[in-house]
Amino acid sequence: MTEATTIAVGQETHVAEASEGGARSLASDAWRQLKKNPIFWVSVVLIAIFVLMAAVPQLFTSTDPTEAVLKDARMRPNADAWFGRDIQGYDIYARTIYGARASILVGVFTTLGTVILGSALGIIAGFSGGWADTLVSRITDIFLAIPLLLGGILFMATFPNNADSPYIVVVLKVVLALTILGWPSLTRLMRSSVMQVKPNDYVQAARALGASPWRIIRSHILPNAMAPVIVVATINLGVYISVEATLSFLGIGLTPPAISWGVSISDALVALRTTPHILLFPSLFLSLTVLAFIMLGDAVRDAFDPKTR
Amino acid sequence: MRGTARTVAMFAGISATALLAAACGGGDSGNAANTSAGGKTGGSITVRGCNPQNPLVPSNTTETCGGNVLDASTAKLVHYNAETAAPENDIAESITTQDNQNFTIKLVKGYKFQDGTEVKAKNFVDAWNYAAYGPNAQSSGYFMEPIEGYADTQCTGEGDDPCAGKGKAKTDKMTGLKVVDDHTFTVKTSEKVSNLPVRLGYTAFAPLPDSFFKDPKAYGEKPVGAGPYKVDSWTKNSEIKLSKFADYSGKFGGKVDNITFKIYQDSDAAYNDVIANQLDVTDEVPSSAQIDDKYKTDLPDRNAQKAVGVIQTITFPPTKVDPNYADPKVRQAISMAIDRDTIIKQIFNNTRKPATGWVSPVVDGYKADQCGEYCKYDPAKAKAKLAEAGGFKGGKITLSYNADASHKGWTEATCNSIKSALGVDCVATPVVDFSTFRTQIANQKMKGMFRTGWQMDYPSIENFLAPIYKTGASSNDGHYSNPAFDKLLVEAAAATDPAEANKKYQEAEALLANDMPAIPMWYSTATMGWSDKVTGVKITAFGTIDFASISLK
Repeated sequence: MTEATTIAVGQETHVAEASEGGARSLASDAWRQLKKNPIFWVSVVLIAIFVLMAAVPQLFTSTDPTEAVLKDARMRPNADAWFGRDIQGYDIYARTIYGARASILVGVFTTLGTVILGSALGIIAGFSGGWADTLVSRITDIFLAIPLLLGGILFMATFPNNADSPYIVVVLKVVLALTILGWPSLTRLMRSSVMQVKPNDYVQAARALGASPWRIIRSHILPNAMAPVIVVATINLGVYISVEATLSFLGIGLTPPAISWGVSISDALVALRTTPHILLFPSLFLSLTVLAFIMLGDAVRDAFDPKTR
Repeated sequence: MRGTARTVAMFAGISATALLAAACGGGDSGNAANTSAGGKTGGSITVRGCNPQNPLVPSNTTETCGGNVLDASTAKLVHYNAETAAPENDIAESITTQDNQNFTIKLVKGYKFQDGTEVKAKNFVDAWNYAAYGPNAQSSGYFMEPIEGYADTQCTGEGDDPCAGKGKAKTDKMTGLKVVDDHTFTVKTSEKVSNLPVRLGYTAFAPLPDSFFKDPKAYGEKPVGAGPYKVDSWTKNSEIKLSKFADYSGKFGGKVDNITFKIYQDSDAAYNDVIANQLDVTDEVPSSAQIDDKYKTDLPDRNAQKAVGVIQTITFPPTKVDPNYADPKVRQAISMAIDRDTIIKQIFNNTRKPATGWVSPVVDGYKADQCGEYCKYDPAKAKAKLAEAGGFKGGKITLSYNADASHKGWTEATCNSIKSALGVDCVATPVVDFSTFRTQIANQKMKGMFRTGWQMDYPSIENFLAPIYKTGASSNDGHYSNPAFDKLLVEAAAATDPAEANKKYQEAEALLANDMPAIPMWYSTATMGWSDKVTGVKITAFGTIDFASISLK
């Protein structure tokens, strides 16, 4: 019965979209809303560029980011090195392009990690209630009390990087630290969202028909409770990128030879008064990336939230 | 104990303060007779200070923060000339020897401590015995090592407390020290030492008044020396106030009445205060102001640079720790692959001078170009030399540094230079902090090359060779051993003519070029800046402020 309804809605949406009218599902409604939002397109284009940068930096530059031309160190932007050269004589343009990978990896992996962990715990708490709810909620409260940055510093200072740890280990360590500290807000959100969906008629109906809890969660609760989590997770992605840069800036996040914007900014600080362009470019790219994800999150929230219409 | 104390002290001076800390700077401040700059006498000045690590006891101070204060408040047997670092008699009337082993030291009569008592021979003998005696755990105790009977004052036990039980030191008096009368004492060394008089200007050899032995703890808070300035008060983490000692008996007094060391955590803050005329002198110009010589436009005509007795080197690991660097040809190839000039220009903004040997140019006995072609950048020759040695077998070259001081920039640049010249991958490897770094070296766990630095204790060529490259020496990190080198050092120490001694030391230094136990990198210079209220600011050869010449405008 319920299945049929869902399918029917899907079909209806399909028809509706074709005819530009009538009833639509929440998702398709949101998509229509998003399509009209210029901020959404700006952020999507920016994110696409940064993701491409992270995946195939060779598309953007043929310069080796580890090749230092010391005699040209601190050179200002010019035709040869578009963004100039840094204190070691590395090409800042190449360093900035290659630096995207670390930020995107940390952002995406941390978001995936927090969404999976946070949602799972949130659903358990919200759906089963009782002692499981109490337990998860209290643990959430405990973790929520640890500030993200402070916790990150503590974690990274306790388990410092080894000089010859491989790149992926260094990245995953930061991801792990941020995931451990980042999941509680999503758990809370998911829990309340699940509790909102749970009393709905279609859930009750599915239960009356004898559907297993797993099936109810998968087919009915999750699709309807996911929207706020997606919104918050998108905004958080930007936050994680900036926290990663902060940790790297402090010398405990990603450590050289890994190339990262945070490391570049940290290295450039000493030249702030004399050659600020060294600091400018990695900072600019960092800000743009964080901005893009936060704008995307904003646009998605507007689209999913009927109250703002 | 002795070994670690020495190394830590020496290297900490260089690393922790990034530039030219005169950790072991000895000597009072300046030479009044030589003062050329004008300016009036009297008035008060403020200078940059930092938190002393230990109580202000001369024999327990091996870092700059406390050392700068003690330099002004203590007088020693000899005083190092501010310009040339040459020793001049201060409390000593004469230091004589026939054989470089038995020394007779006569004191100037009537020299006064700041508590009014006279400086007598026993003040020296007691102070030196106190410094040497193991249970006192004085960080400069090892300076007494040449004196006969030193070994018996040391604790011999193992573990955390070597002085417990059977390990207790046999005696608290060195047999080599004898008081003849109130103003004469003799020193007998266990081996011949050609430059003992030069060493005696170091802070560790300062005399201690009788009041010290009654209450060493109180002394550490408010030391009493015989120097031109006395310590009035020490407010922890804030300031140390000094004022002129009215009855100062020496020839090296200062012009201003009061000197206040304002304690800063950060050299940038001190520097900005100097620009704003809130602080009169900073002995450290932060690297942010050194880029493109920014400090010269920030402080026009109010800055100075001077070469000081510091050398930075890259030391190769002992062969049994890492055999990949054992071949001298590999070592020479790496040395020739380092573009010192460009690194100095771009990373240090010309505040260093490329090294051409293992001895700093500021000391007596320095000879240029001892390293010859091996210290000149020549990628083609470097590559040929490496090919001659059969290439580098270890895969990649590593250069370790302590990450708690600003070594990242130059180690990375050095590695990039080696990488591009030799075509062998080179990685600058950070070690979390200085003590971990030194522990790994001392325990022979450090594979690959590592950075080393040496700040002279006293201005002598011997101080740059014997403690670092002699077989079994306390700071011989690379465990270098060459009988011919050792033999020349012994001969030099026995030479009674200084010129002949220097010649032997230079011959020994020349041997290092063949074996390359360490790569000479560069000599340091000290940079200072001052406010527009003061004049006559001079930098001593130890990189400290010369308090004898500074005055208000």
